[in-house]
Order: sequence, then C-alpha cells, then structure tokens
Amino acid sequence: MSSIIELKKVCKSFGNTEVLHNVDLSIQEGEVVVIIGPSGSGKSTLLRCINCLEMITSGELIVDDIRIPAEQGRIRQIRLEVGMVFQQFNLFPHMTALENVAFGPRKARKMSKAEATDIARNLLDKVGLAEFENKLPGQLSGGQQQRVAIARALAVSPKVLLFDEPTSALDPEMIGEVLDVMKSIAKDSGMTMVVVTHEMGFAAQVGNRLIFMDDGRIVEEGKPGEVMKNPHSERLKDFLGHVKHH
Amino acid sequence: MDFEFSVIVESIPALLAGAKLTWIITVLGISGGMVFGILAGLGRIAGTESLGEKPHGIFMPISSLIRYISSGYVETVRGTPIIVQAMFLYFAFPMLVKAVTDIERFRIEALTAAVITIILNAGAYIAEIVRGSVVSVNKGLLEAGMSLGISRFQLIVHVIGPIAFRRMIPPLGNQFIISLKDTSLFIVIGVGELTRQGQEIMASNFRALEIWLAVAVMYLIMTTVLAMSLRHLERRMKIF
Repeated sequence: MSSIIELKKVCKSFGNTEVLHNVDLSIQEGEVVVIIGPSGSGKSTLLRCINCLEMITSGELIVDDIRIPAEQGRIRQIRLEVGMVFQQFNLFPHMTALENVAFGPRKARKMSKAEATDIARNLLDKVGLAEFENKLPGQLSGGQQQRVAIARALAVSPKVLLFDEPTSALDPEMIGEVLDVMKSIAKDSGMTMVVVTHEMGFAAQVGNRLIFMDDGRIVEEGKPGEVMKNPHSERLKDFLGHVKHH
Repeated sequence: MDFEFSVIVESIPALLAGAKLTWIITVLGISGGMVFGILAGLGRIAGTESLGEKPHGIFMPISSLIRYISSGYVETVRGTPIIVQAMFLYFAFPMLVKAVTDIERFRIEALTAAVITIILNAGAYIAEIVRGSVVSVNKGLLEAGMSLGISRFQLIVHVIGPIAFRRMIPPLGNQFIISLKDTSLFIVIGVGELTRQGQEIMASNFRALEIWLAVAVMYLIMTTVLAMSLRHLERRMKIF
C-alpha cells in the first residue's frame, strides 16, 4: 500500500498563533483515519490544509503525489481527488438536491448534463434520498442535507474523503442516518477517509486508526479499540472521560 | 377652490412627452449604472477572500490597484451632490476639455449629460449594493465548491452570483426609484423631462394645483411600475 497523504513536520500559523505544530502523518490508500481532540486542537485546520483551503506555513505536505504548495491548476487537481464534507453542510441553497450533486461532475469533471445527472441520481439513491432529488436544501432536514453533501462530495469520484465534524451540527436523532451512510462508503467502496468527529462508536466500528490531537500536535495514535481502552497520556484520559459522559 | 380637470387633460400630451424622457433617462441610466456598479462593486473586493482565495504574485498589486480605483470612484460620486455632478458634466466639463486640449467646440448634449450623470451616480451606489451582497454570501459555499475542484470563475458565475443577486433585489429597487426621481433634477440643465414640462406648463397657465398633482401622479405610476417589476422578480427568485 502506498501513502496517499503524507505530512512531514507540518506547521500552520494564523498570525502569531501556531495551530499545527510539527505534525507527521502518513495515510495509506483505503485507510479510515478518525481524528479526535478538544476544540482548538487543530483537527479541522489539518483537514483544511490537506484540501488546500489553508496553506501550510512550513513542512512538507504531499497529497496524491502532488507536493503542496503548488500552482492553482495542481491545487484543483488535488481537490478533484480529495473531497470534503463540512460541519455546516454548505449545500448550494439555490440548487435542488440533484443539481447540487450534479454540479461537481458537470463543472469540475466537464461531463454532459445527462451524464452528470445520471451520476447524481445514483448517488442520491445510494444515500437514500432518491425521492428528494427536486427538493431545495432549505426543504430538507439537517441529516438529509448532510447526506446530499456526502453524495455531492462523492460525485466527482475522489480518492479521499475528508469529513470535518459531519454530525456536530445535527440533532441527535439524525446523527445515525449520516453515520450509516459514512459506514457504508467505508465498507463498500474502500474509500480513503479522514474523519474528524466526536462519535467514538463510529471510530471504534469503522476506523482503522484513531488519532488524538491536542494543542496542534498528534499526541496519541493507534488502533481505535486499543487507544480508547488504554490511553497513555493524561490529556487523552481526560478527553475520553468528557466524551463518554455525553 | 376651483379645480379644473380640463387643465390636466389639456396638459397630458406635454406631460407624457416629459414622462417618456424621464423614463428613457432612467432606463439608460440604471442599465449603465448596473454595469458600472457590478464592475466597481466587484472591484472593491478584488483579491479578497469574498471572491475566493487571495491572489499571489503579480495579481496582488493588480488587485490592490483595482480596489483603489473602484473605491475612488465610489467615494467621489457618493461624496458630491448629484446636481453638482450634472452641472459639472454639462457646463464645466466642456470648458475643462477646451482648456486641456485644443478642441474648441466640445459640448455635451443635455440629455447625454443627464444619462451619464445617472449612470455614474447610480453606479456608485449599486457598487455598494453589489459589494454588500457578495460579501454576505456564506464563505462555506465557496469552500464547498472549491473542494469539488471547481474553478473560482465558475463558482462566482453559478454560486456566488445568483445568491448575491437575490439579496441585491430589494436595495436595487430602492436605488432604481431614487434614480428615477433624481432625473427631476435635470431641470437645471434644461432637459425636457417630466418636472421641466410641468414647470413650463405651470409658468404659462399658473394652474399649480392641477399640474403638480398630475406630475406627482405620473411619477408615482412610474415608480410603482419599477417597484412592482422588482417585487415580481424577487418572488420568482425566492429560495427557501
């Protein structure tokens, strides 16, 4: 297996605030990596750097054999291979569910309308929303919107999917439906996934590796079950205590 | 009080001619104003995150220059009265041209000056409407689009543009109505628009009540048409 995402001594600062500090991480194709950690620990920033929504300050970042920083064209190339699902869904509010999903294939993959619509229908069916294709995002529940957003990210057939707290903005009863979709993607397609979440059940069930971040550093990593059972650092013990209470 | 309805009836042809001119100046003015407004509005946020990623290399000074030019235009126009702008364009500008160049008989038609004034004036205010609407679009949408590998240009055209445009409609309605009423100021440079026509009829028959009532009603009809067509557009573009 070759690594599809490679970070070496990556640092990221906003002004004088260092958000990522010497992060080393190598993610293999087909791996499901779950990242946990308290807020402000740099989890989201890490994802955003991988997708070039933020530029790293120093260190080395190689995504799908492309070294970052790179010029615009190469960055678009990376983004085609690395999709992202956001906490706030970020669906295009003026487009129907179907148009949202078909937009990427049409504009980024330059497909015909018919081809793109075909792909979009299939994906909406896959996330269980076939009958909602003509609804606008505002007419869908949070869970449904997030499932459309996942379908949209899948539509450009990326090699990697990044999930930035995909269930944190959802009502409790809708979390399950989104996690189920994510599980089926991991199981069926062997997609490489990097998931920032607080859903420990998901991490244990689906994750190949669990990473605990704190203060811009990777503090612990390993098999999810083992890391959760035997946390070494005080900070992780403390964090797991907080998470379990919810 | 003697109110002669016949006075209004008699003055209608002249007033309609004036109203027609008012309408022409307004339509040409706000059409051109939209072009100027969109350019200057986007110009004021060129190279900022509202339009995607920050530029680098050669594009950095270019986008700063665009921002300065756009801001200079908007602030100059907003900072001076429209009537001064009209007079400057009609009376002062030809003199300026004469002084700077050798062109002796350069002049601007009153109607042309009126249209240009509305274009420049509306353009500056529309620029702020455009800027405000674009800046207010959730940045997450741009990020979502970029994360799909879609180009910034495509996202501005298909995502930012349509969403921002919906938000522009109410303030644009305001500006269109203001521009229409501003055409009445061109009485000072002798454009035969509605107010000027009313003034001339009034000067010959002294029927102030009838004439100004008729003039007011005609403005009201025109502004209502503008307001209603924008409301119609707004309803058609409603999103949930």
